[in-house]
Amino acid sequence: MRTLITVMIKELTETFRDRKIIINGLLMVPLLVPVLILGMGALAQSRAETQLESELRLPVMGADYAPNLVAYLATQNIRIEPPPADVEAIIRSQERDVVLRIDESYADDWRQSRAATVEILFDSSRQDAQIPVRRVERALEVYSRQAGAVRLIARGVDPTLSQALQVTQRDLATDEARRGMLLAFLPYLLILTAFLGGAYLVMDATAGERERQSLEPLLATPASRVSIMSGKIAAACVFGMLVLLLTLLSFKLSFAFVRSGPFADMDVSMLAIGKLLIILLPMVLIGTTLLTLISASVKSLKEAQSYMGILMLLPVLPTAILLVNPVKNALWMFATPFLAQNQLILMVLRVEAISVVQWATYLGAGFGLGASLWCLAARLYYSERLAISA
Amino acid sequence: MIELNNLHKHFKTKTGTVTAVNGVSFRAEDGAITGLLGPNGAGKTTTMRILYTLMKADQGSVYVDGQDTTRDADAVRRSLGVLPDARSLYKRLSARENITYFGRLHGMDEASIRINTDRLVEALGMTDFIDRRTEGFSQGQRTKTAIARALVHNPKNVILDEPTNGLDVMTTRALREFLKKLRAEGHCVILSSHIMQEVGALCDHIVVIAKGRVTAQGSPNQLLEQTGESTLEDAFVKAIGSDGESSA
Repeated sequence: MRTLITVMIKELTETFRDRKIIINGLLMVPLLVPVLILGMGALAQSRAETQLESELRLPVMGADYAPNLVAYLATQNIRIEPPPADVEAIIRSQERDVVLRIDESYADDWRQSRAATVEILFDSSRQDAQIPVRRVERALEVYSRQAGAVRLIARGVDPTLSQALQVTQRDLATDEARRGMLLAFLPYLLILTAFLGGAYLVMDATAGERERQSLEPLLATPASRVSIMSGKIAAACVFGMLVLLLTLLSFKLSFAFVRSGPFADMDVSMLAIGKLLIILLPMVLIGTTLLTLISASVKSLKEAQSYMGILMLLPVLPTAILLVNPVKNALWMFATPFLAQNQLILMVLRVEAISVVQWATYLGAGFGLGASLWCLAARLYYSERLAISA
Repeated sequence: MIELNNLHKHFKTKTGTVTAVNGVSFRAEDGAITGLLGPNGAGKTTTMRILYTLMKADQGSVYVDGQDTTRDADAVRRSLGVLPDARSLYKRLSARENITYFGRLHGMDEASIRINTDRLVEALGMTDFIDRRTEGFSQGQRTKTAIARALVHNPKNVILDEPTNGLDVMTTRALREFLKKLRAEGHCVILSSHIMQEVGALCDHIVVIAKGRVTAQGSPNQLLEQTGESTLEDAFVKAIGSDGESSA
């Protein structure tokens, strides 16, 4: 135990004496978070506002065939524009999001009470076009329904007869949950920070020390190899937790400063922060032990670093799988690394209750995996090859 | 006292099995300096690594003060002060912090670490740079720090792998005096070198190693007698087995 603490203090001292590592490893993410949250919040809000409330510019082809419809649209905060020479071109070039085409048979059809044809032209692969298209659709729908009702009344029929169902919607998502959807990136960022926060320190303490040839004298001391390794793991965990704590506090502070937009009034309470910290604790252990395992098995620091690309993708997997194949929360999920963290973080953000069984499953599986990786790494530390650097 | 009996060690490489140590036996007495002399790649470093428990021998045994290095590895490591071939310092720590770290790993209390460090600083002439960070140290300063770090727990047995490698004349002389002092204090000192004059000037007992075998051993005078040569250099060349064959 004394060895463990000695090694831990030494590794942390060395790390904290390197200014670049402090800036890159410790402060980068916490400083990036407010920029991300404040920036994204402001962007999302301004986009929604401009698209929903601003005047929609709608080029209409064949406006002369339906003067009443065009006049109606003009009352819906839609400015009618003359048709462009090349419709496809202006939609491709994103000059306009949507174009309306009125069929030449419109007037005839209308007079004979047949369904008159209007066409909405847009590019469905463009996210940005969704809101304008919906606005045009809704305006046309309302106009169509009103005219239809008038026709029925003129023939002495109750317009509600044609509606067998009256469908209304009530959105039961809590405000917190709706924000949780917006915060899909948050679990990834937190898991990644926890998983790889201490990466530099671990790799340097094993692969780096071996490459610099300072591991051999260390292993020639009576200190046991397990204690030395555990000291290094402990140092990386402390560093990782520090990064995580700073990141979470940075989240709390940024949310406190957001006045408007989708993140406004978001309350990240101290309790939630505490829960997030507990959720991510096993992740820190799994990350550092896995990296120790890798660092002890490779020949150089460079080789160890080449694993970073794969490791950074791991936390994305559960989100990707859930995107393709959404499933309800089941107990096995809380025993699956990355997926468990993802689900639990979302539950905390949605202010959903996490049961004792779920907590126990999660912490048991998380720390169990960490301990197994720790044992494997310890076995590698006892290999003869480890100490021989040259 | 350190005793090595019939050590064997093989390494598997891509091109086949390499025999690094092939039946090495010798004895290093207390109060004496024993020199392992041999060309590069003769098996000196591997022999020493087995001795300080970093590697396990395929065959044979090592006893340090009567303790078996495989069965009582921890006790053996406690009684050894080791300066390995690879001996980098921690750049972002001062020389004193480097030494203190190892003192703590040996389980020493802070007061003893301080006393022993001061003694070594005095003996090795490290006063000028003891509290500086080791980044940018000269080769001599680095070696001195590494030796002080290896000996902070005042071990009875001292193992030094090529201690004078890359040192200038003045530093080498200071180091030589330091080793003689250790001998006078009754320590068992083993050092390796590929420089014949080095070993001849310092060692009471010389073990010549070539191709993983001990080809000759004894005091400098005994070596001259055994080989029938008049200078140590000729004796060394003869002992490692014909000119250049194994030293290349």
